[in-house]
Amino acid sequence: MAENRKTFVVTRFDPDRDEAPRKQSYEVPVQPDWKVLDGLNYIKDELDGSLSHRWSCRMAVCGSCGMMVNGKPSLTCKDPLSNYGDKVDVAPLANFPVVRDLVIDLDGFMEKLQKVKPWIIVAKEKAVEEGTYRQSPEELEYFRQFSMCINCMLCYSACPVVGNEPEFLGPAAIALGHRYNMDSRDEGQHERNEVFRGEGTVFACSYANECSEVCPKHVDPAAAVNQSKINAVIDWATSFVVPRGGK
Amino acid sequence: MEVIRHDIVIVGGGGAGIRAAIAAVEASPDASVAMVSKVYPMRSHTVSAEGGAAAVARSDDSLEMHGYDTVKGSDFLGDQDVIQYFVEQAPKELTLLEHWGCPWSRNEDGTVATRAFGGMSTKRTWYAADKVGFHMLHSLFQHSLRFDRIVRYDEQFVTKLLVDGGAVRGVASLDVREGVVRAILGRAVILATGGAGKIFPFTTNGNIKTGDGMALAYRAGVPLKDMEFVQYHPTGLPGTGILITEATRGEGGHLKNAEGERFLVTRDYGVGTKAELGPRDMISRAIVQEIEAGRGVKGPYGEYVHLDLTHLGEAAIDKKLPMVRELAKIYAGVDPVYEPIPIRPVVHYMMGGVDTDIDGATSLPGLYAAGEVACVSLNGANRLGSNSLTECLVFGARAGREAVRYAAGTDAGGEAASRQQAEEESARLASARDARSGSEKLSQLRRELNRTMESGCGVYREQASMDETVRTLAQLKQRMSEVRLEDSSTVFNTEITAALELDNMLEVAEALAVSAAHRRESRGAHTRRDAPTRDDHNYLYHTLCYYDAAGPRLGRKDVTLGKWVPEERKY
Amino acid sequence: MARASHPHAMAPTRPGRTRTAAPMMPAQFPLSGRYFTYTLFGATGALYLLAGLVALRVIWALGSGPAAWQSVMTQLAHPLYVLFHLVTLAAVIFVGVRFFRLFPKAQPAKIGPAKPPPQPVLHVMLYVIWVAVSGGLALVLAGGIF
Repeated sequence: MAENRKTFVVTRFDPDRDEAPRKQSYEVPVQPDWKVLDGLNYIKDELDGSLSHRWSCRMAVCGSCGMMVNGKPSLTCKDPLSNYGDKVDVAPLANFPVVRDLVIDLDGFMEKLQKVKPWIIVAKEKAVEEGTYRQSPEELEYFRQFSMCINCMLCYSACPVVGNEPEFLGPAAIALGHRYNMDSRDEGQHERNEVFRGEGTVFACSYANECSEVCPKHVDPAAAVNQSKINAVIDWATSFVVPRGGK
Repeated sequence: MEVIRHDIVIVGGGGAGIRAAIAAVEASPDASVAMVSKVYPMRSHTVSAEGGAAAVARSDDSLEMHGYDTVKGSDFLGDQDVIQYFVEQAPKELTLLEHWGCPWSRNEDGTVATRAFGGMSTKRTWYAADKVGFHMLHSLFQHSLRFDRIVRYDEQFVTKLLVDGGAVRGVASLDVREGVVRAILGRAVILATGGAGKIFPFTTNGNIKTGDGMALAYRAGVPLKDMEFVQYHPTGLPGTGILITEATRGEGGHLKNAEGERFLVTRDYGVGTKAELGPRDMISRAIVQEIEAGRGVKGPYGEYVHLDLTHLGEAAIDKKLPMVRELAKIYAGVDPVYEPIPIRPVVHYMMGGVDTDIDGATSLPGLYAAGEVACVSLNGANRLGSNSLTECLVFGARAGREAVRYAAGTDAGGEAASRQQAEEESARLASARDARSGSEKLSQLRRELNRTMESGCGVYREQASMDETVRTLAQLKQRMSEVRLEDSSTVFNTEITAALELDNMLEVAEALAVSAAHRRESRGAHTRRDAPTRDDHNYLYHTLCYYDAAGPRLGRKDVTLGKWVPEERKY
Repeated sequence: MARASHPHAMAPTRPGRTRTAAPMMPAQFPLSGRYFTYTLFGATGALYLLAGLVALRVIWALGSGPAAWQSVMTQLAHPLYVLFHLVTLAAVIFVGVRFFRLFPKAQPAKIGPAKPPPQPVLHVMLYVIWVAVSGGLALVLAGGIF
């Protein structure tokens, strides 16, 4: 197998020692079928054990390994090194506070996720003995795409609004709330739409569509966010007409 | 030493851990539950499961049939009371998960769809396209967010169980971000940390599967059970080991050798008419034998055989196996609609684990275990595909309820001993982090661990290489004390966590190798060239392995038999 | 050189337990790659503001008698004004096309019992309606109808 060398320019940041993030270069011998993550693992295993980065499944489903590669958000276990030339710049995800090297703080994201009440809300819990809900393949299709989010947060890095408006719920959280709103088993649309009109408002979205461009799982969060705008308005308008039962 | 107090402490935030947490808060009006995980829950390896979760659903099926299939699949080493309970609870648990939003794939009439799976006599595997683990984990995790009493401690690496007065009192946990050790106390502790596939070089498992919970219990004196039984999943991608689900065969895929021959049909590998839907241990052996006979396809990562889906058609593949198509394209450069996928057997699951009873209770009062970390034993010597996700739910729930019951009847006791132990852990880790004078490299030791496990404890085993592996592991454990670390930072130091994981892996590997070396028969996934038949007379028992500074000590535990009498395992 | 994001971008409500480095905007923001188109999209707002002021002036003149009206009409014939209006027209088309591309996927799969037409059909319908309304309005303004 032909061996090739690439220069990885990696952002380093150790709050114990560094005032601010800095760059460090590594020469990495790469295999033709390697992804960016394989290069980073080589650096950690063979060249510099002090490099910190998150990864686990290496098959694009756990969402751990999101980083900026040559300035763009990338799921590094899925992104082939053959996409890049001799120099590969790896930095932590944009728009997030950086904890260490390539590791960002995702507690802010976890809070936003919680705000949209991402669970089935029903007035009366169904008993196990009653069996499963009936849901046709068509009804499943209404929300299936939006349930595919692996929480990799590339969309948050790409979104200019996330970078400028800290309260904005953001693409993945809104897509997840929308997923539940469109699930035929759920009765919580009104509650979620109130959240969508509230502080983190979906209306902050200004149609950049970058979230959908970078999503590695084809969730199309831009569609979810903009569909939510329509749903949120209809929910607000109908609240004057339709009486809401107390919960 | 900061001390945090809860009623129940759960270590691990995957399928079993989250299910246990939910069961615990539902079983008690006021219990506070800590869920401590070294990763954020949505990163847990449950997420990568693909094919489905089994439970009786159709009218042509019965609990009896599911039970028998599981007992037979286990090569009669599974405990039949456990299996009976499991098949009864399975439909309830999957229904509950459906109520919680899991997007099971559906039939036209709106009922949950099922697919065929290896070793199952009828269709009983509930599925969510080919991403069941992802959907289950996210549904469980999102449902758990509604409970304020489940308090999450994310990216906390538990390094030791705190034991006092003969019972477990909590855990010592390294905060990966801050680099400090805290004592998280609870009246009961549930381990749900998964398996240890990373001790092998070629595995479907993610980086985090390093047997941490098994090592925690083991060092605290709890035996590990049936460690020799390691499941090789027949179809993993060469090189990366990425899982290609059994559902590809459930939906009609064929396995072919280099000559294009469907060898499971044309040759006798014991799977009878089930062919590609035989149990995993038999299919993995068949593939290895085909390769050894020279009928494998040669590739850059060794030899492999073909998984042919081309006859299924693009529409069926996109509907039922969309992730498989993507994985094959991204990681093998192959579009399964047009070409066969290269595959070979890959380490996937550990049937063995922390010895528990049917409640998930271990020999250490207050310590419970559920999911892949535990050996309850549902799966005996070989697990049927799609039983383990259901296992996480059934036994995660039971362990959660039992832990609550136990905690209600226990008093938290004094904290002095726990604080002391946690302080000792803190000192130990601080000095480990400053280990700058050794001569060994972590990645080198890990490579050697992988190499010796592959050579001694692969699909086909024999005494000499197993004994060699046992010796090598003992040496590797010694060499660990000479390891040199480069990262002296306290903040998010992933080198110290890698070293802790390697320590854990070496313990688990040693227990595995010693157990394997002693079992002189072939049963389920443990296959020996020098003892090729099953020997019920001498070996119908569970292997127990106890930690001992002088080297692992073995014991045995009876198999709970029942209405299904051990017979020849033929399909 | 990357710009800083808002200092509290993606920050958790409780302060981080260790010192973090400030969040940074993606490197290409605001003027490289696809962000350039996005920034332009937003920047066209300046043109609409100006066009609005011009329109107000025209309406004011409408209410100030035929001499004022004739004066405004003469001024609007100046090449710079014509250029301004052509640029604004280009901006409107740019924004319209971009918005029309988004609109079909922004429709929820269903609202109650109602479902939107298939996305490609919707996309074409938007152009048809746009051209029809623009054509109708042009006819009215040119004095063709009324």
